[in-house]
Amino acid sequence: MTAIIEARQLQKHYGGPLAVRDVSFSVMEGEFLSLLGASGSGKTTTLRIIAGLETPTGGAVLFRGRDITHVPAAQRDMRMVFQDFALFPNLTVWDNVAFGLRLKINRGRVTDGEIKARVGQFLETVMLSGHAHKMPHHLSGGQRQRVSLARALVTDPPVVLFDEPLGSLDASMRKSMQLELKRLHRELRKTFIYVTHDQEEAMGLSDRVAVLQDGSLLQIAPPSDIYFRPNSAAVARFVGAANVLDGIVESTSDGAAIVRLARNARVAARDNAASAAVGDAVTVMLRAEQLRLAPAGTGAAGSLTARVTERLFLGEKVRYELILHGTDTRLTALDTGDRGGFQLGEDLAVSADARYVRIIGPSQGVSA
Amino acid sequence: MSVGTLEMGRNRHNLLFWLVPPVLWFTVFMIIPYCLLFYYSLGSTDYMTFKPGLSLANLARVFHTDPYLAVLLKSAKIGALTAIGATVLAYPVAFCLAFHTRSARSKFITYLLVIVPWWAAYLVKAYAWKTILGTSGILNAVLLNLHLIHEPLTLFLYNQFSVVLTLVYIFTPFSILSIYAQLERIPTSMLEASSNLGATTFETLTKLVIPLSMPGVLAGAIITFALATGDFIAPALVGGSDALMISNVVINLLGVAFDWPMAASIGIVMIGVGTALISVAQYLEHRSEARF
Repeated sequence: MTAIIEARQLQKHYGGPLAVRDVSFSVMEGEFLSLLGASGSGKTTTLRIIAGLETPTGGAVLFRGRDITHVPAAQRDMRMVFQDFALFPNLTVWDNVAFGLRLKINRGRVTDGEIKARVGQFLETVMLSGHAHKMPHHLSGGQRQRVSLARALVTDPPVVLFDEPLGSLDASMRKSMQLELKRLHRELRKTFIYVTHDQEEAMGLSDRVAVLQDGSLLQIAPPSDIYFRPNSAAVARFVGAANVLDGIVESTSDGAAIVRLARNARVAARDNAASAAVGDAVTVMLRAEQLRLAPAGTGAAGSLTARVTERLFLGEKVRYELILHGTDTRLTALDTGDRGGFQLGEDLAVSADARYVRIIGPSQGVSA
Repeated sequence: MSVGTLEMGRNRHNLLFWLVPPVLWFTVFMIIPYCLLFYYSLGSTDYMTFKPGLSLANLARVFHTDPYLAVLLKSAKIGALTAIGATVLAYPVAFCLAFHTRSARSKFITYLLVIVPWWAAYLVKAYAWKTILGTSGILNAVLLNLHLIHEPLTLFLYNQFSVVLTLVYIFTPFSILSIYAQLERIPTSMLEASSNLGATTFETLTKLVIPLSMPGVLAGAIITFALATGDFIAPALVGGSDALMISNVVINLLGVAFDWPMAASIGIVMIGVGTALISVAQYLEHRSEARF
């Protein structure tokens, strides 16, 4: 596989702190890459730089090895799906989709007959054939987003950019659009670059996820790596419900590190344990769904004792907020409800399988 | 008395409080004057005194007697030229204001530059054009100094051109504000989507921006047309006999000839024409109104 898009040390400065700092990554031909981050993380700015809607103050964008940093947006081989759909309100659904094909840039390349065939085909792809002659304001949010999708895809661009395309849709619509995007990506084999703040969406759709924070790229990796092997506390905190705690390595033996989190509170970590030496200040990650909860006194040897401070029934799971005894260290645990619920204020024995306790790296001195 | 009726009584008081002023205003300043105007148009004059009557003869005379219809048409032509001129000048300004003025500060300053001329009296501004365009005016002086002409030209002043020029200058801000208000509503993402699809600036302009701004263009054109067609100061100051407009005729009928029925009839016709035009424009505006 070859890189179709390459971002090299992108930088964007609006005045104030850098919106994007030294962001470099490449996107493979046919890949589905998500840029994941909270608002203000620089993910949208990065996407807009790739689209040519924003000029970087530093760095370069390459398309199939060619520097396109200063190529105008209109001449880049990529189409964007906007968060607010950006449909043209003076044109019908059909004319919106046909817009790109009828432009001067495609004159002589596409015949009228082809335009008709392609627009019809893509309206069918997004299941809007019956709505071709409606005006955009007569459509629902989901339908509008599908028009904007068809409008982007009809010109057959090698790269499609998505700027939080499902952000303004309701939850059930979002779910079905996610399936549709996944299907379209599989069928069309185009490169998708997808901006979202929804980690579940990013993980579910993408081949790889790039996590951004405060304008910097923290990690770019397949979803399972981002989830199980985050390279920093920030990534671990952002993705899923993880407990990220600071501690000191007390001893190492047999591929496991014993980390002291607080007075009388220790956990054994096997994941990435080789990176730690006795005496190191480290950050450990305990995934909320990996914590085992039992009534106090009945837990496995080496359990931590914690009290339930909050209990949220989520349906398939129950979420417990816990506080470790004699400390101010807080934990989040997800438990299947079938073991019978624990009550608010109840003392629990909390244990974790050392294989799933990961040492992320040296502690940054922030207490979780 | 129950609480309910007390509530209702108070609501009725509130309703009256809000309803009376506009109804009063409308009646005193709109309905009564229009009725009076219509009443006068049906009468006749006898040696400069008004005689009430019920004759449509005056209204018919607007269309049959020289020079009323001709002057009316000429006024409409000047009004239309003014509307076109104002729109052409206003569009780029409104466009810059809407899309190319990034900071709030420069937006405010540009906005101010559009509004500020309105702080000066209309009469003064119209008079200023007289000193610019006249035989001893600035324009002639510049041309003479550049040796482009050898004696002052008279063709700048006292004709329809000078009237249209003055009216365009005075009424362009209306067009700017009206077009700007419409352009402001076009989301930036829509223009970005257009260029993202490969459109040139010209294509974005002709396929999206101009069609989407049509309601504002029409509204601005109607305002400037109406104001210019009924204007009497510019033709009096910078227009010669050739540029006499319908309002000047009405003034003469009222003040010199004391033919109030004739003046009122012209007024009725103008109101009728104006209403018809505004209705058509409203219809077009509504049709081209895109919902964002």
